[in-house]
Amino acid sequence: MNTGLDVGSTTAKIVRLESGIITASKVVPSHRWKELLEYGNKWDTVETIATVETTEAIQTPEATEIIQATETTETTGTAETIVSTGYFRKTVPHTAAITEITAASLGVRYYIPDAQVIVDVGGQDTKVIDLRNNTFLINDKCSAGTGAFLELAAHYFDIPVESLGKLHTRASRCARINNTCGVFAISEMISQLVGGYTMEEVICGIHQAFARRIAQMIPPVETVVLIGGTVLNQGLVESFESIHGSTVVVPPSPQTVNALGAALYGKKLRPEQ
Amino acid sequence: MTDTVGITALIPPELVYACRHRPLDVNNVVPTSSINPRSKLCAWTAVWRDEIMEGRMDIDSLVVVAGGDCHNALVDGQKVALSGVPTHYFFYPFDRDPDYMASQLKGLARFLGGIKDKEMFRTISGLKEKGLALDQLRVDDRARASDVFSALISFGDLQGDPAAFEEVLDTIPHTDVEYSSRVALIGVPPIYPDFHEVAESFGLHVVYDELPYEFVRLGGNDMQALAGSYRNYSFSGPITGRIEMIRQELDRRRVDGVIHYTQFACHHTLEDEIFRAHLDYPVLTVQGDLPRPSSEQLKLRLEAFSEMLEVMP
Ligand code: SF4
Repeated sequence: MNTGLDVGSTTAKIVRLESGIITASKVVPSHRWKELLEYGNKWDTVETIATVETTEAIQTPEATEIIQATETTETTGTAETIVSTGYFRKTVPHTAAITEITAASLGVRYYIPDAQVIVDVGGQDTKVIDLRNNTFLINDKCSAGTGAFLELAAHYFDIPVESLGKLHTRASRCARINNTCGVFAISEMISQLVGGYTMEEVICGIHQAFARRIAQMIPPVETVVLIGGTVLNQGLVESFESIHGSTVVVPPSPQTVNALGAALYGKKLRPEQ
Repeated sequence: MTDTVGITALIPPELVYACRHRPLDVNNVVPTSSINPRSKLCAWTAVWRDEIMEGRMDIDSLVVVAGGDCHNALVDGQKVALSGVPTHYFFYPFDRDPDYMASQLKGLARFLGGIKDKEMFRTISGLKEKGLALDQLRVDDRARASDVFSALISFGDLQGDPAAFEEVLDTIPHTDVEYSSRVALIGVPPIYPDFHEVAESFGLHVVYDELPYEFVRLGGNDMQALAGSYRNYSFSGPITGRIEMIRQELDRRRVDGVIHYTQFACHHTLEDEIFRAHLDYPVLTVQGDLPRPSSEQLKLRLEAFSEMLEVMP
């Protein structure tokens, strides 16, 4: 049994894989990541490891013992390998830790074996992975084109970020927002509202500005796979599709695809599972 | 009298020694400098400029390598000149013209008071042979890239004392290295003082440092030979020549991937697209700005690149 644990800046996700089949998955806010390890019915060994809280602690003799114990039990087929990924990958319990880039590449290939370019829109950064030549780009220097930009817009309207997608569909036209810098975009939003656009139309404009920013990072390609919690926002996906001009594919459960990739990596480590 | 001559980029150190002076590559203090420059584009030039102007670097004169190399250095070098430091400007020929190169070397020798010790040409040639052997040692996985990088980058000024530098070279440990992938580092050298160590910690063995390799590749035993060699300084000529050179080295050194280091506000950053289009290898582009230990962002990129090279088909 292989477990993938993805603890990112906003949410934590878990995916369990048995004989190559996904048997469980769950998403919780990041600060409640420990709940994931209690979830399900076969997490005994994981719970033991969950008492270890930091990377340094993992290197202590007791922790080494726990991990070794895990490995010994695994050969009997009752325990599991935990592969962690995400921003906090090295501070949560893990048998191995991999970056989100590798996790996304493996996870997406599970659903779409011939995927070419992956765009992972995270809470604090956006990653573009070109599987054709194993290269990637990360935007982690400014909030433009990351979930934080949408959070800022939702915060301004005092609405939950999850409602942005739905409100977008009610817009009959789109306000033009040029800035992708969060701070300047807010003042542009205000002037568009003052100028007569509705909240829905301004949200549509925000999605388009967001999509333009991401589109700049993407190499020419016919199909783009979008993943990350933000892509549950249909308004954003539609804006991206119309601006980038590529066909967008969103795999099932785009939010847990990195946790799945981590679990698959565990399978690579221990193919017999 | 032996003067300390600050140099802003590669000029033949053998010529400075032959004129009985001591070169000091002003860039060497940058990665560990604590200066926060007053005004800056590229931090390399801004930091050495302020180090000199605040009297923290003990130099008697400055040679600014401008043409064919760096216009930020040309402007910051002139600021230093205006502060009263005797300054000479050195230009590489973009078209690799040997006569132009020879005239630039003669002009430099004049600025330095003329050649007085021709034997230094031979002494330094011998050291460069050792440098090349060291470079080959890491290609053969028998020396750590971080050790070899610090040795090669020191060939810009031979640490101000060729005899003592030879001893330093002789103490570099020969040791079998283990790694997951072989990579090349192209572009200007990283401003992070621990870049190679961090790369090593993620299983990346740097088997080619583009710019430092130029420091040992170029040389000669007299002025004519120097002109013939230094006119081919790859960074100063057309990019097609650089691509050809890099390709050849990537092949010879059997690399799995390429890391292109770019410096904030450096014109070489614009070359990224060209390299990506012309080098048939996975390329990771990273950027640095102020001299600091490697950031978490850089570490994430190196770790992910290492995983990509190892895990992905
Ligand atoms: S990094 Fe670029 S701008 Fe800075 S000194 Fe070097 S060549 Fe000049």
